[in-house]
Amino acid sequence: MKTSGLHSLLWILVVSVLSFSCQDEITTTHTFRTMVPVYLEMSDIRARTIEIEPAQPLDNPGKIYIYGDYLLINEPTKGIHILDNTNPSNPINKNFIPIEGNVDLAINNNILYADNYVDLLAFDISNLSNIRLVKRVEDVFTHLYRHDTGEIITYKDTVLTTENPYWGGCANCEFYTMNASLSFTANYAAAAQSYGTGGSMARFTLSSGHLYAVDESTMRVFDVKSPADPKFIKPIDLGWGIETIFPFQDKLFIGSNRGMHIYDASTPASPTRMAVYEHIVACDPVVVNEDFAFVTLRSGNFCVNNINQLQVINIEDPYRPYMMTSYPMLNPHGLGLAGDNLYIAEGQHGLKSFKVSDVMAIDQNQMEFLESMKSVDLIPGPKSLIVIGPDGVCQFDYSTPSKLKKLSCIDVKNPVVVK
Amino acid sequence: MQSKSPKMKVQFLFLFIYFLAITTSYAQEKAYYNQTELGVMIGKVEDQWSGTTEDRVGFSMLTFHGAWVARYHVVGLSLGYDNYESVKIIPVAFGWRGFFGDEGKAQLIGGFDIGGGSTILQDEEKTEWGESWWEGGMMLSPSVGGFFPGKNGKTSLTVTVAYKRQEVFQYNGTYDQVNPALQIANSNLPPGFSYLTETNYLLQSMVLRVGLSF
Repeated sequence: MKTSGLHSLLWILVVSVLSFSCQDEITTTHTFRTMVPVYLEMSDIRARTIEIEPAQPLDNPGKIYIYGDYLLINEPTKGIHILDNTNPSNPINKNFIPIEGNVDLAINNNILYADNYVDLLAFDISNLSNIRLVKRVEDVFTHLYRHDTGEIITYKDTVLTTENPYWGGCANCEFYTMNASLSFTANYAAAAQSYGTGGSMARFTLSSGHLYAVDESTMRVFDVKSPADPKFIKPIDLGWGIETIFPFQDKLFIGSNRGMHIYDASTPASPTRMAVYEHIVACDPVVVNEDFAFVTLRSGNFCVNNINQLQVINIEDPYRPYMMTSYPMLNPHGLGLAGDNLYIAEGQHGLKSFKVSDVMAIDQNQMEFLESMKSVDLIPGPKSLIVIGPDGVCQFDYSTPSKLKKLSCIDVKNPVVVK
Repeated sequence: MQSKSPKMKVQFLFLFIYFLAITTSYAQEKAYYNQTELGVMIGKVEDQWSGTTEDRVGFSMLTFHGAWVARYHVVGLSLGYDNYESVKIIPVAFGWRGFFGDEGKAQLIGGFDIGGGSTILQDEEKTEWGESWWEGGMMLSPSVGGFFPGKNGKTSLTVTVAYKRQEVFQYNGTYDQVNPALQIANSNLPPGFSYLTETNYLLQSMVLRVGLSF
């Protein structure tokens, strides 16, 4: 048995050794993130009723809005969380309003304005246990329309695996990292870019009975003097690369990736351009007081100029803004001004605070530099300084401006990553 | 296969086999069998652009440590070094050797090794934009050969012809510069990457080896 068994084994081995092919087989697969177009009929979206849901965990927060004792936090393209912030040391997540395609919000007299793809919605939130949709203004954010057919196009993040490199894979797909401009217009990443507000990175803002909404190239003006009945007045063309809007007194300061636009909004229904302060391409939120605008420029992924600084722009004559001085920074993102105290989110480097009563000597008046507090944006609120960073949405007691005291952090499933 | 875990698995296998090798060799001093061989691997590779087939020749080394489990059978572990044109691999495998013929005379040896290949010798390359790395895969190798006892009766000469089938993966990843935190459910992209190219090499070779056994 032994030998015959071995015999056959040996023959199997001989045959197998001789019969196998010795040609290498090489196969390549490509796996990549892409944006797959999703076509939606607005008529379908309008037909769905919006049911208020119980509290949902924060996933990837976008804009943050402070309203009285409440914090409203946008979940880009999904809806809005409502948190009770009566005690900033312990904010309580209360409700979630699911709104498809939502990126931004603003509140006026208990009326919440929120975008729903091409429409603007108005909710009555005076009673949180009975939030009602009171008005839908149709067809205002028309840049999302594909054609004039009532069909809109949005993009869904997807991962594809194919045997072809991306350009041969999916005909209508857009390669993710190659297409920054698309992601801005595609509503999706517009959200990802606007971290929060009341703060310096807002895209919806309220001023003297009007709601101003900026997208990449257009400002849309709504009359909200009767809060529950917003009326679309007109679009105003701004030029490309618009990122943020900040109202101050009767002016609107609009940050673009090329500079800062100053609009006179003394006739609120029809703001007119006073000046454009141009600088080189960089990412730049703006905050303003009577005489000065503070602008941060940073080198980032889209804004590739290798420059990181805080610029102080004199706006005493809003028709002739000029830069007074600038200070080198590490990687400034959002900023917030509370009286004479300026707070700057320095990305992965932390959080800085300055006294800015003497704008020519800001660098000599640094109050604190919290290197452990990585941050991308902040909002000086009436109760607390809200800081958005990789730890989630954190609140600080800043009643002593030079000494921030952490009160709480709201956990976030997918917090921002700062590089 | 698109996470970094197969690499871990191969490394664990490597460690496991290493310890097993130490314990078996100590435990069964008398019944120990060793066969160490050097040789060449010959394969064919198709040029990706021209489509022409070219020969691939590389250095190969294998050392087998085993224990006699029956009169004609040795079971053990093998460890080697294979230098392919594109990648250097350390194959680690469970092996069997069977002998045919009268003891003390020239015999035929059959062999079979099954295990994995480690790419631990390959460096990971990292840049600002991405990284590339290798991961080892399955290895399978049947062999036949001759066993020629030496005059002193201790050391023997071996000559082996083997087929070797080695899987290995090359990855080229591009970091996600836009939104590295974004994770897509059920995604087979590792976190932080926006693009990953996986090249799966199935390397098939004929191996000719000569060595010593004791």
